[in-house]
Amino acid sequence: MTVSYVLAAGQAQVGDLVQAARLVSDQVVALVVGPEAVAQRVAQAGLDQTLWLGEPGPLALEAFAPALAEIVRARPGHIWATRRPADRVLLGAAAAAIEAALVVGPTEVTAQDGLTLVTAPVNGGLALSTVAFTGPVALLMDGGAAPDGPAGAVQPVSGPTASIQLVESQPSVGQTVDLTAATRVVGIGGGLKAASDLPLIEDLAQALGAAVGCSRPVAEGLGWLPKDRYIGLSGAHIAPQLYIAVAISGQLQHMAGCRQADTIVAINTDPAAPIMAQADYVLAGDLYQLAPALTRALAG
Amino acid sequence: MTIAVIYKWAPDAQEASVDTAGRVDFSRAKAQISDYDAVAIQVGRQLADATGQGLVGLTVSGPAGGQPAATKAALARGLDSVLVLADDGLDRLGPSAAASLLAGLVGQLDEVGLVLAGDSSIDVGARMTPALLAGQLGWACLTDVERLDGSASQWSAQRTQPWGVETLSLTGPAVVALSPTAAPLKAPGMKDILAAGKKPVRLVGLAELGLTEPAAGQLKATAHLTGPSRQGVVIDVSDPDAAAQALVAALGQAGLLIEGRA
Ligand SMILES: Cc1cc2nc3c(=O)[nH]c(=O)nc-3n(C[C@H](O)[C@H](O)[C@H](O)COP(=O)(O)OP(=O)(O)OC[C@H]3O[C@@H](n4cnc5c(N)ncnc54)[C@H](O)[C@@H]3O)c2cc1C
Repeated sequence: MTVSYVLAAGQAQVGDLVQAARLVSDQVVALVVGPEAVAQRVAQAGLDQTLWLGEPGPLALEAFAPALAEIVRARPGHIWATRRPADRVLLGAAAAAIEAALVVGPTEVTAQDGLTLVTAPVNGGLALSTVAFTGPVALLMDGGAAPDGPAGAVQPVSGPTASIQLVESQPSVGQTVDLTAATRVVGIGGGLKAASDLPLIEDLAQALGAAVGCSRPVAEGLGWLPKDRYIGLSGAHIAPQLYIAVAISGQLQHMAGCRQADTIVAINTDPAAPIMAQADYVLAGDLYQLAPALTRALAG
Repeated sequence: MTIAVIYKWAPDAQEASVDTAGRVDFSRAKAQISDYDAVAIQVGRQLADATGQGLVGLTVSGPAGGQPAATKAALARGLDSVLVLADDGLDRLGPSAAASLLAGLVGQLDEVGLVLAGDSSIDVGARMTPALLAGQLGWACLTDVERLDGSASQWSAQRTQPWGVETLSLTGPAVVALSPTAAPLKAPGMKDILAAGKKPVRLVGLAELGLTEPAAGQLKATAHLTGPSRQGVVIDVSDPDAAAQALVAALGQAGLLIEGRA
């Protein structure tokens, strides 16, 4: 009887994890850290068991790592989690407890003759490799939607915790945007000269009915957009119908997050930028002329 | 007490080449101390100075990571010393194997209460080594940390989550992965480079530590990674408005501009 654990830390968006886990194991057990409401929602995935670590109170979600390690150590199996910070820490503890191999972003996982075959991108999306594992595997991937089947049983469990407390949480002022759910996305990159030029992009996005995303430097180095807006290997993985990449060079770490878009439009002053070879429509020109022109064309 | 920083002498994946069968070749990519690791060392330096602790760098690598070019590059970033596990076959380790060997190195140090790490490596890029290392050590772990203050065993961390800014406190030994924004980067100066040549370097091998290379899976196949194939239609931009109209017409025809579908 093989088991898979699906970790859910603070949120219930694990539908895809449960589905993938089912394909390679006889039993799927959810390990839920966070409020009881999250556990109840996760239990709607029709699991064999939903174990809930109890109300976190002042503890950070990461504090439950030792408890998860203990549960998984008692009965080793594959472990599935999303790429969010707390999930990564919890997965790390559980995986280390049973020396599980780690795979990020699997595109296919199958069981065959006692082996687990995992296909996944390597080196930040340079290529794909398929690896056969004899033991348990820890897998990080996008979680999918929250399950919405009939209610299931939630079983409280307890275990050792680490001393990590959430002292304060200040909500961000901007609204949060789920880029992965958007049908159209406009991405802005390092070619934008100043934060005060962002309205050019926001206007275009609005005319298009699109969400605004960006490359990592815009969110992380420059801080012009919130961190949940950057697309790529370490950011959001999007698959919209239309992605317009404005002044984004198209480095592989960025492309790893938008390669699955149906249609890609590239706007870039440099005709030799890598994005130009990876786009359906190529506009080799200045965003300061082309973005407003596009906004006008869409309005008219 | 000592603060440790894990780092990696590794080439940037962007400089690797990939053949048509999807085999990745790093032979012409130059190894470096990444900006991510440099940020971690910088934060470590500030904390070590503020709390009167030593700052040691830990790394696991193939033989090249034990060469002076590599150890000096790490030391010039501000470490006091380095402990390097360099051995054949340890070149392109996955995060699980790297973490278990790094845990072996942490075990070599006296009185270490904090291990810092960068956001990710630049060759593998899994962002999991700190969490796996913490798991191996049974220590607390936080990632994506933008600010870290504290003393010997009591730390205060700040980070930005999609929903806001969190302040966290952690007690006891911990592994902390730093966000790339946790410290401003400055290139090492001539003084740092000269000083690096005189700092202590301890090189160890697997046998000496009584460690074996952890088993990995068996590679079955490689393939080129592709998304949907692209049309590559070039739109003339000499007149921006005409270019915009041409694009809007093309997107409209492809059914990509239907109202209310965003
Ligand atoms: C391990 C790792 C993980 C990473 N993860 C991510 C990730 O998840 N997401 C991500 O995006 N990056 C990621 N990066 C960073 C990535 O390697 C690139 O540095 C980044 O994507 C570059 O962003 P950019 O193209 O916006 O900026 P730049 O490289 O600065 O490119 C700016 C582009 O704008 C063009 N331009 C300039 N002015 C104009 C103008 N007026 N009009 C039109 N075009 C103009 C330029 O020609 C250039 O092509 C990661 C890096 C590493 C090492």
